[in-house]
Amino acid sequence: MNAGTQTHSHSSRSAVIRSVDAARRYLGGKFTAVENVSLDFMKGQVTALVGPSGCGKTTVLRLISGLEEPTEGQILAGGKPIEGPGPDRGMIFQAYTSFPWLTALGNVEYGMNILKVPKAEARERAMQWLETFHLGDFADAYPAELSGGMKQRVAIARTLAQNPAVLLMDEPFGALDAQVRWEMQEMMIEILSREDKTVILVTHDIQEAIYLADRIVFFTSNPGRVKHDIVLEFKNGHRFARKEEMLKQRDYAEIEAQLFVWMREEIQKTG
Amino acid sequence: MENTLSTEPVAKGSTGADKKKRKPVLNLLSPVSPRQAIILGIIGGIVFFLIWEFGHFMTPEESKRFLPSPQHVLSTLYTLLTEKGFLSDIGISLFRIIGSFTAVCLVAVPLGIFMGCFDNMRALINPVVSGARYLPAASFIPLLLVWFGPTDTQKMALLFLGVIFFLVALILDNTRAVQKELIEAALTMGASRKQIVFGVVARAATPAILDSMRNMIAVGWTYLVIAEIVAAQDGIGAVMMRAGRFLKADVIMAGILTIGLLGVMTDIAFRLIAHYAVPWNRKRSN
Repeated sequence: MNAGTQTHSHSSRSAVIRSVDAARRYLGGKFTAVENVSLDFMKGQVTALVGPSGCGKTTVLRLISGLEEPTEGQILAGGKPIEGPGPDRGMIFQAYTSFPWLTALGNVEYGMNILKVPKAEARERAMQWLETFHLGDFADAYPAELSGGMKQRVAIARTLAQNPAVLLMDEPFGALDAQVRWEMQEMMIEILSREDKTVILVTHDIQEAIYLADRIVFFTSNPGRVKHDIVLEFKNGHRFARKEEMLKQRDYAEIEAQLFVWMREEIQKTG
Repeated sequence: MENTLSTEPVAKGSTGADKKKRKPVLNLLSPVSPRQAIILGIIGGIVFFLIWEFGHFMTPEESKRFLPSPQHVLSTLYTLLTEKGFLSDIGISLFRIIGSFTAVCLVAVPLGIFMGCFDNMRALINPVVSGARYLPAASFIPLLLVWFGPTDTQKMALLFLGVIFFLVALILDNTRAVQKELIEAALTMGASRKQIVFGVVARAATPAILDSMRNMIAVGWTYLVIAEIVAAQDGIGAVMMRAGRFLKADVIMAGILTIGLLGVMTDIAFRLIAHYAVPWNRKRSN
């Protein structure tokens, strides 16, 4: 194994989430956020949904979360149609959602309390998750006392503590400054190397998409549709613990340039 | 000369120090330290009493008793408290306002949160509630007198009607202002409706709700005095009304002062409740 990388295998290739010709329209069908979405999200795969603003990528994430329902087609989780949100599909939002009235520890316990994990066990596991996210010293701090990056780490720890099969991330690091964002990205790689989660990530940040994802789905706007669906072959199943390791890869620049070209096509189309 | 950057910052700085621009008194976005705030507050109070004193001084001698001096009002207040049983009137007024405001909160807080959580309930109830805000509560006085007579119930009912519709509207707004993502995060964690209404929405809105209650109890004092002036044997308002019949301006002003002080005390009480009940919302000094 290369130094600084982790091998990542897709041994059992099965779709955890399956979108079958899903569409979401508003205003009684007059406005289409997204349509013709047929995607399989494989177990253990990290997929980034990328595209211009208003392409419906966040809508797709919300359909999978169950916070919204498709107006046409179907979305299946574990083979069954999705009926509303549930702890099998944990969601991380761009806005800080750690509950301000609970301490960092209380926040991480919250999700487990909902799942009726015994109190003592919930506390122990919550402390472990806080340690994992380097928040051990802040267990008793309220979110108002934490930085933006720390608040977001509390939210991610809270979600992972529920052990969801799928992790849905909607611009999770979008509100953070560049340095913290980069730290958070490397932290996600670290977590994913241990947890082997199925992840669906919505992001505007092309470099973030290439760094975190195994696969990139590119959306076009008006109407929102899937335009490209690529597997990042150059990573060859590796997840790079350090971002610069990925940046040094020979094919990285080519992929990044390709995504910029696709973005420019979209901008010119609307502008 | 061109507006270029100085190449000699040190020389510039040394001359600039002499004619350092003074900050204007009215400075935007300029915070005040707690100590400064106390000093300024005391100055404001002194100015108020000086204006009052000056007004008393300028009043012709034969009319002076209609605008008594602050010292005179304070000594009248002392006499009222020690010799005229004013303390029991204050107690009765406090009982009325606390009793009716508790009733208001018991209805308004759950109703406002309920309407804020469920849009169809808001659509059902809000037109009536927000319309009722435009009915002057004082116009209910004759009706309340017919129904209850000049009783405590009548006074508390007036206060209830005067405050409740506003408080419901405020708490509805407080509830709807809860960040949507907090509710969505709870939903994706599998929280039930009950867990979200009580454990997320109500808790997130608590600081704003306490603020709304604090602001509305001030309005409550207004209706209490109206009720006591119209028809009461006891209470602060009744004492003032009786004094009015005998042109005792000092007693009336002592009553006004008492209500002001009690109002400030209820305000402080609510701030203390908020401070201890919602520790996570304390303003952090850093």
